[in-house]
Amino acid sequence: MKDASVVKDTLVDGGPKAPARRGPPRPDGGAEAARRRKRLTTLTRPWLLLAPSLVVLAGLLLWPLIQVGKLSLQDYEVKFGGGVGTFTGFDHYSDLLTGELLWKTVLPNTVFFAVACVGLTVALGTLVALLLNRLGPTWRLICSIAILAAWAMPAVTGTYVWIWLFQPQDGMASQLAGSLGLIDPETTNWFTERGPFYAIATLNVIHHGFPFVAITVLAGLMTIPKELYEAGELDGANAWQRFWNITVPTIKPVFLVVTILSTIWDFKVFTQIYLMPGGDGSNPDVYNLGVYSYIEAFAKNDYGAGAAAAVLLTVLLLIITVVYIRTLFRQGEEEL
Amino acid sequence: MTARNRTTLASRIGLPVAVAALLVFTLFPVYWMISTALDPKALTRGSDVLPSGLSLEHFTFVFEKGNFGTYLLNSALVGLATIVAAGVLSLFAAIAVARFKFRFRTSVLIMILIVQMVPLEALVIPLFIQMRDYDMLNSLLGLSIVYIALSLPFAIWTLRGFVATVPKEVEEAAYIDGASWPRMFWSVLLPLVAPGLVATSIFAFITAWNEFVFAYTFMKGSDKYTAAVGIYQFFGENSTSWGPVMASSTLVTVPVMIFFVIVHRKLGSGLAAGAVKG
Repeated sequence: MKDASVVKDTLVDGGPKAPARRGPPRPDGGAEAARRRKRLTTLTRPWLLLAPSLVVLAGLLLWPLIQVGKLSLQDYEVKFGGGVGTFTGFDHYSDLLTGELLWKTVLPNTVFFAVACVGLTVALGTLVALLLNRLGPTWRLICSIAILAAWAMPAVTGTYVWIWLFQPQDGMASQLAGSLGLIDPETTNWFTERGPFYAIATLNVIHHGFPFVAITVLAGLMTIPKELYEAGELDGANAWQRFWNITVPTIKPVFLVVTILSTIWDFKVFTQIYLMPGGDGSNPDVYNLGVYSYIEAFAKNDYGAGAAAAVLLTVLLLIITVVYIRTLFRQGEEEL
Repeated sequence: MTARNRTTLASRIGLPVAVAALLVFTLFPVYWMISTALDPKALTRGSDVLPSGLSLEHFTFVFEKGNFGTYLLNSALVGLATIVAAGVLSLFAAIAVARFKFRFRTSVLIMILIVQMVPLEALVIPLFIQMRDYDMLNSLLGLSIVYIALSLPFAIWTLRGFVATVPKEVEEAAYIDGASWPRMFWSVLLPLVAPGLVATSIFAFITAWNEFVFAYTFMKGSDKYTAAVGIYQFFGENSTSWGPVMASSTLVTVPVMIFFVIVHRKLGSGLAAGAVKG
């Protein structure tokens, strides 16, 4: 952090030592030296500008990642005046990977939940984008603001609202289902079994996540020139053919990107699970990978085991991210 | 002709139904939150669409008994520190990657993309230990530093798009008039990028304002809670007072919604820029 502020100061106060002056070169003998200095500043300036950010990112994102890898190979104990780590090799990993909890509960919860959320989020988002694309300006604005409201809902407060809606006995959905004779609101608790628990969590994540998909896909739809559809109509293509041959190929790249981004986000959902009743560790049936890692580290004080689960999650996400970046490059959409 | 009639009939009924369904799904949770917050008999409301009455008693309760004013202030302080630092840092970095050609530029950009995927659950364990060693737990400054790092990658990525839209000729005109680089930055580039900077800063503020995991793990003294963590205290062991929970949720949510609607036009283009050829 200290380095960052030093570099920042030089940039704000005096600028780099040799400001590059464009325009006519000075006629005197210093021309050669000035040119050399100019070359030096064009070489160093981008790095001076980047340095503060890179220092912060390295210190607070990359360094902790190395630390979490190191921790996962240790038994870390908190003692007075600091922690003590004992090297244990890959013990935490073998415990994690041979345990029943990971294969029967944690991984299935994480993967099925992510797949359901991504599929439904992308499907709903795309349908909403197609709908918005057909609306007139007034209704499109009204719907956009409603979508933004759903998007802006913080994960914490959104989760509380969904819990309140499905609260046993008093919740709106419980009362409604009770009055329709579907359940007995006095005895039904939707949060104790992992099926209904994750169904509610999925609803929460979709509500929070589909606006990004809808707005991004809509931006893609709006880049399709109207002439393309008119030409298709002239050639005798019906609405369905126009959709498959014009709309789908054009938004396919956008589609890929939102799918991969949603996958990255939905694999690491934490707050929406942790805050639900039983999600904070009291019900091990509903663990996902992120919650499991957090509980091991902070509730059971087994930092090494928590770190091993965190590393597993990071590796899974890294694989998806590599696919994402390769997709971006292959499309050539992103001029890096 | 018949095919066309059928589609218009379907769309005449289908479109309004779809719009209505969309509005209900997006807005109902928001409506339920606000109306429960205003309902004096929140707990026994059941499935009544309208609240049993309107009163501000839950809001008074969270401020007077729940100390929620302090939490909102803490959140605002952390958010402001994040805005200022992340704004300055990301602007410099965005100029570097949008304006200069240099070695490893692509590598830097890929690294910025990759760090965005890092799960918070993996960072919270080592950062907790690090912050404890530096005695920065339970400190708003320590929390702000973490949020600056969390909001930087997205801010750099978005601002890069805004900087790239400023024509290079404008900069060159400043150089021809004899301006140095810092002078050009202050008088030409900064004013032109300002709208993008505002939008990006608001997004950084929202990141800090909404964040839960770090605030929940780091802040153990109840006077240092941020608003997102402060709501947690209204949950009882067996029963939850939903009136105060929804009132404090409303206080956390409404500022974010207002900000979001303000910046969405500006940010919309930046958000989509990563996915759509602009």
